[in-house]
Amino acid sequence: MGKFITRRILWMFMVLFVISIITFLLMRNVPGGPFTREKKLPEATIKLLNEKYNLDAPVIEQYLDYVGDIIVPRVVTGKLRPSSAEDYLISIPLSGSGDEQKTLQWVNFGPTYKSRSRSVNDIFRENLPVSFQLGVAALMIAIAIGVPLGTLAALKRNTIFDYMGMGTAILGVSFPVIITAPVLQYLFGVQWGLVPVTGWGSVEYAIIPAFALGFLHAALIARLTRASLLQVLNEDYIRTARAKGLAERTVIVGHALKNSLIPVVTILGPLLAALVTGTFVVETIFGIPGMGRYFVTSITGRDYPVIMGTILMYAFLLVIVNLLVDIAYMWLDPRIRFD
Amino acid sequence: MKRLRWFTPLLVCALLLTLVIGVSAQDAPKSVVTGLHMVGGDLPTIDPHIAETSASIEVVNQIFIGLTNQDATTANMEMGLAESMDVSEDGKTFTFHLMQNVPWVRYNPDTDAVEEVTDENGNVRYVNAQDVVAGIQRALAPETASPYAYVPVPYIVGAAEYNSGDGSWEDVAVKALDDFTVEITSPDAVSFAPSIYGLWVLRPVPTWAVEEGGDSWTEVEYINTNGPYALKEWAHDESITLIKNPFWPGTDAIPQAKIDEVVFRFLDPQQQFAEYLAGTMDAVQVPLEEIERVKADATLSQEYVVGNQPCTYYIGFDNTEAPMDNAHLRLAFSAAIDRQSIVDNVTRGGQIPAQWFARPGLTAAPTLETHPDLGIKYDPERAKAELALALEELGLSSVDELPPLTLSYNDSSNHGAIMQAIQQMWTENLGITVTLTAMEPSTYFSSISEDAPIIYRAGWCQDYSDANNFDYDVLYSKSSQNDPGWNNPEYDALVEQARLESDVEVRRELYAQAEDILVNQGAGIAPIYWYTINFLIKPHIEYPPSVTGNEAYFEWDVQ
Repeated sequence: MGKFITRRILWMFMVLFVISIITFLLMRNVPGGPFTREKKLPEATIKLLNEKYNLDAPVIEQYLDYVGDIIVPRVVTGKLRPSSAEDYLISIPLSGSGDEQKTLQWVNFGPTYKSRSRSVNDIFRENLPVSFQLGVAALMIAIAIGVPLGTLAALKRNTIFDYMGMGTAILGVSFPVIITAPVLQYLFGVQWGLVPVTGWGSVEYAIIPAFALGFLHAALIARLTRASLLQVLNEDYIRTARAKGLAERTVIVGHALKNSLIPVVTILGPLLAALVTGTFVVETIFGIPGMGRYFVTSITGRDYPVIMGTILMYAFLLVIVNLLVDIAYMWLDPRIRFD
Repeated sequence: MKRLRWFTPLLVCALLLTLVIGVSAQDAPKSVVTGLHMVGGDLPTIDPHIAETSASIEVVNQIFIGLTNQDATTANMEMGLAESMDVSEDGKTFTFHLMQNVPWVRYNPDTDAVEEVTDENGNVRYVNAQDVVAGIQRALAPETASPYAYVPVPYIVGAAEYNSGDGSWEDVAVKALDDFTVEITSPDAVSFAPSIYGLWVLRPVPTWAVEEGGDSWTEVEYINTNGPYALKEWAHDESITLIKNPFWPGTDAIPQAKIDEVVFRFLDPQQQFAEYLAGTMDAVQVPLEEIERVKADATLSQEYVVGNQPCTYYIGFDNTEAPMDNAHLRLAFSAAIDRQSIVDNVTRGGQIPAQWFARPGLTAAPTLETHPDLGIKYDPERAKAELALALEELGLSSVDELPPLTLSYNDSSNHGAIMQAIQQMWTENLGITVTLTAMEPSTYFSSISEDAPIIYRAGWCQDYSDANNFDYDVLYSKSSQNDPGWNNPEYDALVEQARLESDVEVRRELYAQAEDILVNQGAGIAPIYWYTINFLIKPHIEYPPSVTGNEAYFEWDVQ
């Protein structure tokens, strides 16, 4: 088990390395740059800006600087001045004080060209928690609706429960969030005034966005659960369990459902990574200060460090949740072994 | 009967309570919740020297004041931090006498109040000449890499060299003569230079706060400001809240703020509109898709306001590449565009069909009152005649022999619909069907600056309110913004002369002549419409209509 996890983590670094190179090369070869404007800036101004952000250095050097700032820890001496160019996720005071102050600094994802006063780390620190809360809430809703609905549909196959449940699920899958979100927003926010229309803060702000986001995935989970449970119910060991005289409840919850969740858990991993890093549509429609918007605006704005930061973070989360999914397999089905 | 005995005191209590609530409601701070001219996301900056989007500039305008100021309702220049100004005899040196009672202020979250900033000795810091000079120095310094410094650079002696890193600050002609007098010298006698010195990009900033806060100096914990509003909160990606600065002395031009708090929420127009319908925002942009609905709605149509925006939408031609290097052909294309139909059927936001480039309302720009017949209008007969002349000059017998032509545009907003309308008009009136090419915005803009497409969409908005910012800054033959490659010596001579002329009416006439060459005789570009802004404003807000595209919230009031 330990060996397995170590191997996977080593693999993770390989994956992140490859992704970082591909992303870096791709974004640098797209026409336009961070200082391309409708009202174009004079050559001289672009030169000054390129110098400021070291964009005039050879591309290879820029890549190494970028990666170096993330993985190499450094110790600086002197009083720290707030600067987006020197913003580290980990900053530990070591010794001394005032001008003699030594500080260990580690993990700097760089500035954002769009805003001088913020850094990519600021965006992670302030926006990621918001997306995380919304994403987890949406996932909870998806599971809380999806699994029972799918189970009910499978157990009462070809009854009114099955048709109703799967009908709802098909509706959920067919209506993209870009339609359901504004409709829910209009009804609950504008028309009935039950919840705030946009914004973020207390729980009431999160209800509608989390539901809009969760419902779509609930439908998906319900369909998967139903299909998988139906298959498991036909397995020999279920017949054995029933033959042993176990209560139907124990057969379903203890034996059938647990095994049937493997496909569900498989999609839950990437789904979790996608939800907690934010979703562009829901965040835009509900004015939520999350991460999702940055995945899109950083690319349209050619904000290189933000593109790299968001993609690396997403990749990192994907690798981690897939590792968790694999570990969950072993618990759900003890026959599965990786080492 | 027994019941009535406690009923009367209860009624009295209730009445008293209503009275108390009523009185306290009257004392409640006045506030306005509004949007900015931007889509959602975070506001890029509120640092005057870095600001380049209209949303940033709008916030900067409320919290930092410059030497001069542009009045939002008239677009005219008025005094800002300066109470008066002298101009030297040769018209090149401008001496500004500053108000002596404008303190730097900051918002204190502990007391929930704006307070004056003091120096090490406990004295109130007033905005002085040194602050103004230091502000201009920071704006022009190459290390600052200000994206907008290039606009004022030609109007300050020595600024170009200093900004490019070749010169020193000592040689820049910006001097503090005493604590409250600043002298700036321009290389040319340009009458509109004082309005340039008041641009946001040259405004004084608190250098001590910049020193302490570094890149983060614009956050509430560091920032000091000097305008009628102060920064109360900046919730990144959500909103900015400004609070009234009671220490702003209040002048005729820039009065003390009447509204205690202005909240700017960073939302897309659709979301602003939803909040407005829910009654939680007071002033919002109208999304393009909702304009018809707003006009048709009994209540909303009463709250609908169309404001001027100093921008011109136009079609650019590559004047240097065949066949668009032929003036008759360009003119044929321009005359074949039914501008009225575009604003009535496509944009529908009260835009004005543009007859020329420099939008009316800019200082010295021709207006539809002074020059109703100037420029280009929709004229299909003229378009056909010009096309015939063009074909003759090109030695072609029919339009089918023209090379395939492409109209390029950035795929955002409603450009696609406008381009389709223009494509159709050209097919109908000229028999020429161009291909439409939509491009991702950043790719599109970089392709224009490298080599302009043969026919393309473009727009230009004012940096400062003067026709020079359009006719000279964009289309002078040597301008870096001259993407169409328009080059006409007669035009150049006229805009050069207008730049150095001091009489506004003479200038207006010169620009009218230049425009006639630009859009009528030579058709270097085809102007389409002059922009407007479409707002919804709640009736309880007293709103002096802005003609500059920027709002002066210190002029607003709440009933």
